[in-house]
Amino acid sequence: MIRFENVTKSYKGATPALREVSLEIAKGEFVFLVGSSGSGKTTFLKLMLREEVPDKGRVLVAGRDLGGLSHWRVPYLRRNLGCVFQDFRLLPNKTVAENVAFALEVIGRSRSEIKGQVGQVLELVGLGQKHDRMPDELSGGEQQRVAIARAFVNRPLVLLADEPTGNLDPATSQGIMRLLDRINRTGTTVVMATHDVGIVDAMRRRVVELDHGHLVRDQARGVYGYGGEMNTSTRGIPAVSVGAGLAEAADGEPATGRVAAVRARRGDR
Amino acid sequence: MGLSIDYVAKETATNLWRNRMMALAAILTVAVSLSLVGTSLLLRQAVNRQIGQFGQNVSLEVFMNANASTQQLADVRSMIEQTPQITHFTYLNHQQSYQQAKQILAGNPVAADALTPAIVPTVFRCQLASPADAAALVATFANGVPGVYRATSPLQSIHVLEQVSNVLQIILIVVAILLLVSSLVLILNAIRMAIFARRLEVGVMKLVGATNWFIRVPFMLEGLVQGLLGAAAAVVIVLLSNIGVNYLVRRYHVSVLSSAVLPAHDLLMTELVVVAVGVVIGVAGSSVAVRRFLDV
Repeated sequence: MIRFENVTKSYKGATPALREVSLEIAKGEFVFLVGSSGSGKTTFLKLMLREEVPDKGRVLVAGRDLGGLSHWRVPYLRRNLGCVFQDFRLLPNKTVAENVAFALEVIGRSRSEIKGQVGQVLELVGLGQKHDRMPDELSGGEQQRVAIARAFVNRPLVLLADEPTGNLDPATSQGIMRLLDRINRTGTTVVMATHDVGIVDAMRRRVVELDHGHLVRDQARGVYGYGGEMNTSTRGIPAVSVGAGLAEAADGEPATGRVAAVRARRGDR
Repeated sequence: MGLSIDYVAKETATNLWRNRMMALAAILTVAVSLSLVGTSLLLRQAVNRQIGQFGQNVSLEVFMNANASTQQLADVRSMIEQTPQITHFTYLNHQQSYQQAKQILAGNPVAADALTPAIVPTVFRCQLASPADAAALVATFANGVPGVYRATSPLQSIHVLEQVSNVLQIILIVVAILLLVSSLVLILNAIRMAIFARRLEVGVMKLVGATNWFIRVPFMLEGLVQGLLGAAAAVVIVLLSNIGVNYLVRRYHVSVLSSAVLPAHDLLMTELVVVAVGVVIGVAGSSVAVRRFLDV
């Protein structure tokens, strides 16, 4: 579904945000993207949205090389990618239903189609009773549910979430994670950048860690963090767990770009 | 694409209303500058009409001294006959000139009574092939041809009129261009503010995959509407000034302005130009704003 091939991206005058990152994410996966601020998580997401283009390497989404994508096609790419942010980005002057409908209106869907879809997706996120509320009448968790509904109403192949629980308390965050999990179970690939240790540890899903632009860990059923000294020793080594990762490194398994192989071996899902 | 008319109309109207002070400034500047453009075009047409009226009887009048000798008269006559630029001429003798002078002075009996046929200069009234020759011929006959009192051509006064109107038009056009540029910048800025005011919405639209044109069109239309509203105001101002001139001419018989009464056709063309310029300004201003500040 998503494939990064030796992607390097740097911004003017700064050290590279991503260096030689290779990664494959299969359809239907749930991936946590972790790493400290400035590690390149947001750049990673932006490359998938083609808000940025790589300096070197290729980014493929749904089999299509984004580098070769002409400017006017970008909107059509984005219709396959739903986006959720820490700050919700709801339109304050529109109701809940209007906010969700907006995403379909601006891609030219018919009014009757919009009506049906909006009702369905609001039911899915658990806001079936709040169609006509304004965003400022909702709690943070509810606002994020609206944002998720808006991102998901067009049934995208991939849902990208940039710290979706960053502004929410732990209990509310859990609700949001249950929702993302439910969306993932419909077959939607979910990529979530986060700092939330509790969530990552509780979910036990694939964890990809970035550090100063390097992919330092790719771990199935991973946890948020581990000893700092591991960062360098396991750099670029896909690991099923920290221990197994070290064992694999001993096999001489080449590091990055072999995520598919790791996935194949990962029969524990 | 799903650019439905009611979506675009709604968005444009909302934008204009939210941003009404900027929009008003832009619209008024467009109106003032286009009024100047329109007025300048009307003035130009009026002057051309005036020149055309004179030009219909392109003429040169060579006045002889009242006491010119028969020989001098004959010399001048043959000189006129040998000038190829003069297509046709008539000679008014003392008696005919006297009659003419009395007609001209009909409103001033004292002066008319003072005239006698003997003291009225006789005149060669010449038709010219082209108005361009007038000044040279006036110079030829006025300077040192024996017996000639003076030579005149109304074409000379036309020349002065032309020059005055040219200067006036240049001033009007320069002011109009300056104002057009500022209205372009004002529209650009109004659209830029509208884009800024809606950056959240624009961001969401980009994220969910609205096409560039879908995002741009309402803003461009906003500029177009500002240009058109300004042009509409200018059309009314130009129309009113034309009506005002017509009224002055009819009410006070201001004959100097009579050629400023333009036929409906000329007026219509002028108004169309005004509207077209308004549209161009609106679309140009908003296109630049959209391209520079709505990076999709």
